[in-house]
Amino acid sequence: MNPELRKLFRKGAPKSADLERFLEDARFPLVDGSDVTFVYRGDADAVYLRCWIAGLDTAQPFQRLHESDVWAVTIELPKGSRIEYKFEVQKGDDRQLILDPLNDVIAHDPFGANSVCQAAGYRRPRWTRENPDSRRGSIERVTVASKAFNGTREARVYLPARFRDNRRYPLLIVHDGVDYLKFAALETVLDNLIHALEIPPLVVAMIQSPDRLKEYAGDDRHARFLAEELLPTLESDYPLVGEPEARGLMGASFGGVASLHAAWRHPDTFGNLLLQSGSYAFSDIGRHRRGPVFDPVVRFMNEFRENPGQPAAKIYMSCGIYESLIYENRSLLPRLQAQGIDVRFEEARDAHNWENWRDRLRNGLSWLFPGPVWMVYE
Amino acid sequence: MSDAPPKRLLLGPQRPVRNLGDAIAAAGVPDGPLAVISAGWQEAEADTADVAELAGRSLVDLRLYQRAEQLFAADRDLYAAYRERQDRLVALQRLYRRRLKHLSAAARDMLRIEDGSEMVAAEQRHAVAQLRALDRHHLNRVEALYDEFRDAHPPETHPSIAEHRAAIEEAIGGCSAVLITGGNVVVMMNRMRLFGLKRLLEGQHVIAWSAGAMVLAERIVLFHDRTPQGRREPELLAAGACIVPGYVILPDASRRLRLKDKPRVGLYSRRFAPDTCVVLDSGCSMSLRGVDLAGVNGARRIDHDGRIERIRAA
Repeated sequence: MNPELRKLFRKGAPKSADLERFLEDARFPLVDGSDVTFVYRGDADAVYLRCWIAGLDTAQPFQRLHESDVWAVTIELPKGSRIEYKFEVQKGDDRQLILDPLNDVIAHDPFGANSVCQAAGYRRPRWTRENPDSRRGSIERVTVASKAFNGTREARVYLPARFRDNRRYPLLIVHDGVDYLKFAALETVLDNLIHALEIPPLVVAMIQSPDRLKEYAGDDRHARFLAEELLPTLESDYPLVGEPEARGLMGASFGGVASLHAAWRHPDTFGNLLLQSGSYAFSDIGRHRRGPVFDPVVRFMNEFRENPGQPAAKIYMSCGIYESLIYENRSLLPRLQAQGIDVRFEEARDAHNWENWRDRLRNGLSWLFPGPVWMVYE
Repeated sequence: MSDAPPKRLLLGPQRPVRNLGDAIAAAGVPDGPLAVISAGWQEAEADTADVAELAGRSLVDLRLYQRAEQLFAADRDLYAAYRERQDRLVALQRLYRRRLKHLSAAARDMLRIEDGSEMVAAEQRHAVAQLRALDRHHLNRVEALYDEFRDAHPPETHPSIAEHRAAIEEAIGGCSAVLITGGNVVVMMNRMRLFGLKRLLEGQHVIAWSAGAMVLAERIVLFHDRTPQGRREPELLAAGACIVPGYVILPDASRRLRLKDKPRVGLYSRRFAPDTCVVLDSGCSMSLRGVDLAGVNGARRIDHDGRIERIRAA
């Protein structure tokens, strides 16, 4: 248990005023080296920590402290870690998943929000926060007619500050792009990295599928849409370099699969891939155990592992070590390297979430699209 | 202009230490307005109010960046040829970089052996010689591309360019010196080459900082050990204007380089010899009369063993 909390409870339940003061002053969860103590105060029959870390039990039980209404659980969390969690509070037959009432650090995702535990050594990167000095890009909408999907699709297109028609820009296409904007501060990150000259001014097309679990799961229609419909539209509407080495695909989770699949189906089209926590499920023999939604992914990945070809010249991959997909990501790495692809792989003490993907953007983008910081001597 | 050789004043970055005004006064640059080249700032080229205040002189903006933009918009053939050249230069630089990675690693590997034997010393010399040979080869290839473009679009006579060049020449003629700011060294160099600035600068007093100082040297070397991806191998970009021969200018090197890594830093000196690799940090300066070193204030040099030493004027 955390030493401060132990001290508070050393003579049994503390006086109410002492407890109130402690709860007011301390920052929760309590971090002491690699020990992290989560605290809940309230009327309950049981409390569990739900933190979705591969390798740990999904529900860690809290202990009630000295017959009080204070509950605590301590887990070991290596330095630099960042995890998202909720509390499960049980009272009678009622079980509720709630945010940590004592912690106001919250991460949002398409399913809602989670509390965030920042272990010792973790700091949110400065370049993910708005910087008033960074000139802001702009975002406009483009509609693309799609035969592949028998309809139209919309993309949001980020144009860097000081965008000029007589320049030529590299292009990045981002899967789940609207989610990247909402949950991974993509626009701010682009503004800041371009301002810091760490990446060149880029045109970034953000797409959002209405059925991502199907279309991103190794679907040929999606690959065709990217290479034969979206890309030509963008290249006709914007001044782009128009060479594979100046084009990239990016995505997380199923978006990583979709990026890899599209580049594999259309080699020599996208020279750069930024793949985060890709859901590269495969089976060596027999059936996989990830559920039917992964069936097409496994079909694609098994085929890909058999014949990887040369989907791109440069690939940046990242994955959290607290997600089960770390094994699939690690096992993909030598397959790609064996093809002579220039691959950079980064593991993070984080899990399958948007802020993990946000925090890796600088390394990925600046490696695939190095900026002119190298050429600028102020 | 008198017969005395023109003054050349090279400064480090103007942040955090802003020594432009003091350095101009100390070097005895004649009174009068300064013709300013700030093309390295690209779209912000005209934001020179700060510079005028620092210099304590009025400025005449040569607008090289803006002029080139106007040219490219008006002469699409010229723009297409320029783009094609740039594409070829980028491709060439990429190939050079691939070879450089291996030769640099090999040379550093050799230089880290410290047994003092002649056998090792011979291998070290050969490893550095291979690197120098690659640099020479690359420089020749790059300059051939520039020459080809220049022959097809000579700045003195090309119908679109010559008019701008004449205006630039006239503007410089009305000023006491030319001032070149920092910024993007590639953009700066390309715009200066487009308008044939090298010849126009030859007889002029020139004051330059950071990227501006780099383009005056014989060779332009790009360097940075602290990019988001870590260290990059120093790369030869192209020939400079050669107004200041005998030096490779490394602005802000104490911040950009890991100077404690002596084998790595010492390789700069061995690789670019006989030129002197100059650490030109903020607040530092060196001045020349013609090509002769006349004064040094804080500028330092890298020796073959990676030590950083003071430069002494003769």
